[in-house]
Amino acid sequence: MIAVGSVPDPSPPRLLTQQLLGPLISPADDHGASVREAAARLPHALADLAVPRVGSGSFRLTDHHVRTALARSDAVAAATPFAWSARTARRALGLATVRALVAGEAASPLEGARIAIAQAVHSAGLGQGPFSAMDRWLAGLPPAGLAVVHADVVTWATRLWCAVDWSAFVEPPLIGRDRWWDSPHSSLLALRSRAEVRTFVSDPAGRHYSAHLVVLGGPRRSTIRAELSVVALVEALLAPPLVPPGRILGWWPESGHLVKVEVDASVLAAGEAAIARTLAAVEAPATPGQEVARAAA
Amino acid sequence: MVLVKPRRGASPGSCPTPETSPSSAPARDEVLALLRNGSGRRPRFDPGLAGGLRAWLEDAAGELVAARGEDAPPLFLGPRLLWTGSAAAADPQTTAGADTSSIELVLSCLVRALFRQVVTVGHVGDPLSDAMAALQVDPARAGMAAQIERMSDATRDALSAALDVHAANLLHLTPRFAPRWLPRTHDRVAIPLAGGRVVLGGVFDLLVGAPVPGMATLCALGLTTGGRWAQARTALHYLALLETLRSGTPPFRVALLHSAIGRYGVEDVLEEHLRAVVSHVVAQLAGLAGDGPAPAAALLGGGDWDDRSRISA
Repeated sequence: MIAVGSVPDPSPPRLLTQQLLGPLISPADDHGASVREAAARLPHALADLAVPRVGSGSFRLTDHHVRTALARSDAVAAATPFAWSARTARRALGLATVRALVAGEAASPLEGARIAIAQAVHSAGLGQGPFSAMDRWLAGLPPAGLAVVHADVVTWATRLWCAVDWSAFVEPPLIGRDRWWDSPHSSLLALRSRAEVRTFVSDPAGRHYSAHLVVLGGPRRSTIRAELSVVALVEALLAPPLVPPGRILGWWPESGHLVKVEVDASVLAAGEAAIARTLAAVEAPATPGQEVARAAA
Repeated sequence: MVLVKPRRGASPGSCPTPETSPSSAPARDEVLALLRNGSGRRPRFDPGLAGGLRAWLEDAAGELVAARGEDAPPLFLGPRLLWTGSAAAADPQTTAGADTSSIELVLSCLVRALFRQVVTVGHVGDPLSDAMAALQVDPARAGMAAQIERMSDATRDALSAALDVHAANLLHLTPRFAPRWLPRTHDRVAIPLAGGRVVLGGVFDLLVGAPVPGMATLCALGLTTGGRWAQARTALHYLALLETLRSGTPPFRVALLHSAIGRYGVEDVLEEHLRAVVSHVVAQLAGLAGDGPAPAAALLGGGDWDDRSRISA
């Protein structure tokens, strides 16, 4: 069922956690079975969608592509070349900060962000081991530039840290691991699922499902459920058979609004339709720079 | 209880007097003490308050949407437009993409960058260099950074001198919050009404404290760099309203820092403040809908909103 609806009232921390971790409202039968059946059919259907555009190159679709494709044309700003900035770096560093807070490795967002930035700069400075383009960018900033990045990361991380009751999780949640599904039938197609917090919930029968908190930006929009359905679709494609996706919860920190999608076969169908529309809208393969931008978004 | 402590000339950046010389204790200690005073008795607000205020605003927004048409693009409104109707006012969000900005806007952006630096790391080096470095990590401010680079030496020197005064006042006024207070800067709030067709937005310069359901636990600090004190205070009340709509409770106390002259004030947020702000916003929305005084033309442009926030995370 896709239209559980947005929660109209502002969301104090307990409410968001309740909405994420509360029992699934599922039909009497195992609706996970219908999700699994749909997921089994989807790889072929998605590969077929990518075939007509075989000459356009590969499609590595992110939530950015989906949001842009589904948005009204007048609501989309002109594409700008990607550049690392405090804005584009804050999510990755903010997630590292929240991970440190949840693990007890940092006592405050201020400290967690400082550690995350210092580690990134250190990695790039050594030039050894894994370091990213963002790390290299950070390493080249003057102290005042790093202070702005630090400030942005603190704000981003504090919002997420304060919004969730972290003690309510039975198992430690997975924080901020984006996941890619690569089509086994078409090397042209890959889909990304972005979620900030991943955990598990149960239905009244005791069956387990995955639940995902997605931090949203921009204005509220009518297409948000379709966007979240794509997350559900990718999670269904990647899920182990016994733990299908059960819930996707979207949250706007700027307004406190929530949108909850309980996953079933109709949600996956909506996700498939959104992918089809996105593929139809994508005229050309993304440049490497744009890919980096979307990875950071 | 309302605690308002206007101070004139009480900072290193203004003309010192015998009783307000720079050697006196920093005003930031007093700001912090005023914010903390009685904080153990944090007020509980009526749980229905936020819902009531929202309903009041929704009614007005609904009428506005009916007048503008269901298919009209969303209308984004911020404090500057709601109170002055002037999109050209010195709001840092106003002209992010403009080729050139007024000197007031440039100064406002630079001072806010320094404010974030003071809150986050506690010190400032060379104010202009540091503020420029801050602009350069924000692509939306690239035009402004280039504008500053193009300034004549005399203009740039004047800007640097002005910024020195603001930086000194910021260091004098801005409390050093312990990390456990969760200080966070530039916290944007956006409250959609009428299904997102009207959006009330604003940005807290600084929030401290953790939100607790049903209890006012946050403090908000606002910064004004040269505008009118009363207007800046009202804008802070407006932000308190937005926080009420976002989390269900307002900040329990707000502080306003005037970085040009070193003045500051601290006060509790009262229901009267919120109701007064809602009443004003409703009147503005009614004006836009054609039911009240003619609104400023600039309002229809929705210009005091950061365009970037419309489309991305």
